[in-house]
This record gives sequence, C-alpha cells and structure tokens, in this order.
Amino acid sequence: MDKIIVTINGTKVSGSEGMTILDAARENGIDIPTLCYRLELSPIGACRICVVEVESSRTLVGSCHTPITQGMVIHTHSPKVIETRKAIVELLLASHPDSCLVCDKANLCELRMIAADLEVGLPRFRLQKNYYPIEDVSPYIVRDLSKCVLCRRCVRACSEIAEQNVFGIAYRGFDSKVVVDFDQPIDQNVCQDCNVCIPFCPTGALSKPGRIGKEKEGKPLIITG
Amino acid sequence: MSEKRIVLRNCGIIDPERITTYLDRNGFKALEKAFSELTCEQVIEEIKASGLRGRGGAGFPCGLKWDLSRNAQGDEKYVICNADEGEVGTFKDRYILEGDPFTLVEAMAIAGYAIGAKRGYIYLRTEYHYLLGLLKNAINQAKEKGFLEHFDIDTREGAGAYICGEESALMDSIEGKRGEVRYRPPFPPSRGLWGKPTIINNVETLMNIPQIIVNGAHWFSKLGTEQSKGTKVFSVSGDVKSPGVYELVLGSQLKELVEDLALAKNVKMVQVGGATGRIIPHEMMDTPLTFETILGAGAITVFDESRDVIDIVCRTMEFLAEECCGKCIPGRQGTEAMVEILKRFSRGEGRQKDIRVLEELSSAMMLSSLCGLGQAAPNPVIDSLQHFRSDYDNRIRESEGG
Repeated sequence: MDKIIVTINGTKVSGSEGMTILDAARENGIDIPTLCYRLELSPIGACRICVVEVESSRTLVGSCHTPITQGMVIHTHSPKVIETRKAIVELLLASHPDSCLVCDKANLCELRMIAADLEVGLPRFRLQKNYYPIEDVSPYIVRDLSKCVLCRRCVRACSEIAEQNVFGIAYRGFDSKVVVDFDQPIDQNVCQDCNVCIPFCPTGALSKPGRIGKEKEGKPLIITG
Repeated sequence: MSEKRIVLRNCGIIDPERITTYLDRNGFKALEKAFSELTCEQVIEEIKASGLRGRGGAGFPCGLKWDLSRNAQGDEKYVICNADEGEVGTFKDRYILEGDPFTLVEAMAIAGYAIGAKRGYIYLRTEYHYLLGLLKNAINQAKEKGFLEHFDIDTREGAGAYICGEESALMDSIEGKRGEVRYRPPFPPSRGLWGKPTIINNVETLMNIPQIIVNGAHWFSKLGTEQSKGTKVFSVSGDVKSPGVYELVLGSQLKELVEDLALAKNVKMVQVGGATGRIIPHEMMDTPLTFETILGAGAITVFDESRDVIDIVCRTMEFLAEECCGKCIPGRQGTEAMVEILKRFSRGEGRQKDIRVLEELSSAMMLSSLCGLGQAAPNPVIDSLQHFRSDYDNRIRESEGG
C-alpha cells in the first residue's frame, strides 16, 4: 500500500491509508489533547478539543476523525489552535459544577487535566450550570449528570462494547442530556452490573455506588437547646 | 431590473394537482431527452457546464456533487431532495412546492438516472405537512404516466428541528435516528444515507435541472455572473411594502430587490441568509447578490430605522441556541454563552470587555464547530459589531452611566 506523506509541525512523516491525523501525530510522539475520543470507541468528533490546523482548510479540523491525505500540512499547536482549544475548555468549565474539592474523581478528572495543561483559568463566560439530582437508585451505578460533559463515551461504550444500548441522548442544545429510556433514573431493570461504561467517564459523572450519599459513620452531631 | 422566471416558470400557471397541465408546458421532456439522447455522464457534463451551484446556502457545484456520487462505489445510491426549508425568513421552496411539484419529481428522476440511483426521498419539514398530499399526488401521477419506472420517490417528514435541514442531520433523521450532525469527511456523495453514496439537493437546485437539460448548459451559463450562474429565488420579508417570493438573475443588486421590487423605505439593515446570515447595512445596498458576495438560501429580512440591532442579534442567537443539536461543545455551549452576553447588552448591562469576549468566542466557534450552524452562528454578531459598533458603544455608555 502506498505511504501517505504529511507534514506535521514542519516535519515530514509517513502514514498509511485510513490513519487519522491523531493516529499519525501520536505515532510520531506529538500529543494532541482529546476528550470524547477513545481508541476503543468509534470517533464522533463532539468535543472539538483535538482540533488542528490543516493548511488550505477554511476551519480547523477534528484530528480524531479526519483521515490523513497525501501532502497534508498540519499544525497541531499553532496559536490559533491553542486559543481555540482554550476557549472550548473554558466553555465547558463555565457550566461545570465547582465541586472538584469533594468530587471522587479529584485529580484523575480528564477535564481538570486538560484545563491544567492548557492553562485555562476561571472562565470568562457566565453559563448556567445544569443541576440534576444524583441518580443513585441502581445498586451498580451512580450518575451525577451535573458533572456530565456530554462526551458520550458511556453511550458508545454501552452500545459498542457492552452491546446494550442503555443510554441515549435527549433534549436539544444546552439542555442535551444522556438519558435512560424516557429520561428515567437508571435502575437495575435496565442496567446490570457489567461495569463497562464507568471507567470510560472522563469526569465524576459516573461512579460505583458506595460513597456518594452514604451516611456518615460515628455518632451523629445533634445540637440540643 | 425585472424578474426572470426559470425556477418559477410554472408556478401559478399549471394546476399542481393535474399532471396534464404540466405536460402541456413541455413537462417531462427533459427526462425523455435524458433517457433517449444522453448518457448518464453526458447529463452530469451538462450540469457541470451550466455552472449550477447548490441553492440551499453552501453553493457547492451541483455537477461535481453528482459526479462524485456517480463515481463512488456502492451497491445502492440515493437522491434526496432537501425540502426542510427551515432557515428563518425563507418560504421560497414552499411557494415552489405549492405551485409546481411536477418539475421537482422530474428533476429527481433525472438525478437518479445520472448517478445510478433507484430511490429518492423528499424530506419535507413537518410545518409543510399540508403539502404532503400534493407531493404524493404528483409522484403517483408521474408513476401512472410511466415516468418513474426506473426510479422510486418516497417522502419523509421532519419533526420540527431546524438542524435537520443540515444535510448530515437530515440523513440521520431519514434513518430514524435523532437528527444530529456527522463529522465530514466522508461527505454524502461517497458515504451518505445508510452509508451509501447520496446526493442531497435543495428544492430550488433541482428545479433548475429540467430546464438545463432541455435548453442546454450554454443557455443557462449565459445568465448571471462569472461564478454565479442562473437565477435565484428570494424570500423577502420584514419592513417592506411588498413581501414575497421574487426570482432574479444572480448578480442583481440587493437594492433592486429590496427597494425597487419589495418597496422598502428607510432601510437600516438587511439580513441576507436567515438566522446565520450576514447583516448588510443601508450603505452597502448596492452589493450584488452572488455566491461570491452574499446569498445563503435567499432569505432577505429587511429592518427599518425603528429596529434595534442588538435586540435583533440577541433574538437570532436565542433561536440558534434553541435549535442547535447539542453534539459539539462550541455549538452547544458557545451559542448559550453568546445569548447570555447579548441578553445583558439588551438589558443595558453590557460592559466594554464583553465585546472582546464576544469576538474571541466568535472565532473559536467559527473555527471549531462541527457543523455550519455553530460555524455561522457568530455571523450576525461579527457583522453587527463591524457595522453598528456605535449601537453597542451607546448601550454600554448608557449602562455604565446609569
């Protein structure tokens, strides 16, 4: 098969038919941040954090789903790319609850890692936060959708790996939400304990039960008059 | 400049319920000519030579699109007519469908022949449900007359989503999925509906096809400008005395359409291309209407001196935030962030630094959104900041002074 030669950040590299820009970059040790992308899942191009500049393209392109073509000239970290990625992360953070201090995901949170890498500080946008009640009726999974970034990794993991299709997307625009059935809390009737989706969640939106909402041990502090 | 009716040549003349009235106007002559005199390749060559470009807004060369899908590998291919006309301020396709559904049926059959498709879909927006019977009747009558022996046309109705006018979301919708945009490449001519090579054309684009086949590419390419051939059907609304549908040769000036034909007075600005369209101030009314300048799907919304620019832009952005599919972050969060800022301007709580934020957000959205909605959503913001900056500054002064 013919080799495809592309230029990434000034260096000529070769790849093969069917490779994406992200594949070619990673193979050559260039790190492009991703959020909705996972190697095990089909790409959807939803988060736009992996965008790169391709010369002669009007817009930036998603590197996780755009195949390389002969002679492509790619910039993965140009000022335009960095500014755009920062704005995207800033937009996400603007509607993300500020509960990192008590979130179980803590510094394993991919959103936090990306934000730290890109040096995104307090967002300039004032978005409303989508607060949803925590769904903890299932013995297998707890969903705290206020922390959901709509990367749909759980949706794809459930359908492509577990082959269950428990999750779907409902509502539109800013109100979009990963739902079960007709937006019912997830329970053991629809979801068994396969535990496939939970490790795919980049934030603290999905977790195993047992910690959240657990009653505190020790004597309750009751103040009487 | 007067009107020139090519697309609308039968509207108001034939009876849209009776195929015989269409046949009297040389109906299905183009299909007969294509079948008897031209090969599939020759049909495509003719469309290419005519210079016809897509009328849905993007202006992609029609012949090239057909060629790509003719050459794409696939055991099955599809032709889709995009009759989802959801763009704010457009109603030309509705007028066309109401008046002349037969030309559309003929054009789709020609398209099917050219690319090697056996099946076509008309995707009709749900608000045009009342036209469904008329369309089905036209398809059935054409079938009875033996014009659709090699090509089957079916109809699909939308469910009221603006985003389903976007080609990839439209295909998802036909497939029975939630209408959401797909990343590209692959483009529909290579992998479209159910992963098969597909062409999606706007109603108006298809309406030009039979005329081009009958009269030849040369006849068509004499009309219009270098890059924009033929005519365009415009939907004019807003602060005008005679709103309605007008068909003009491409290259006509905005002024001729808005002031001479639609009789607008005291124009402050015109939005060309609907919600994501460009805003043209009164001083630029001599701009020619072409693909090179401004066009979109031909929605012309006129605003007079009594209108407030910021309110208009804010209302437009609320619409886009509401109708965005929610898949990508710049589209979903970006439109919402813009609404928040613009609403503050509208209420008189804007600050100078918000303008910088608006500009930076606009570039991020234009550069990184997954589809045209997010990429073009900042257009009215950018244009209004450029042409009506003083309106923003005055509002800030009022709010900072008060």
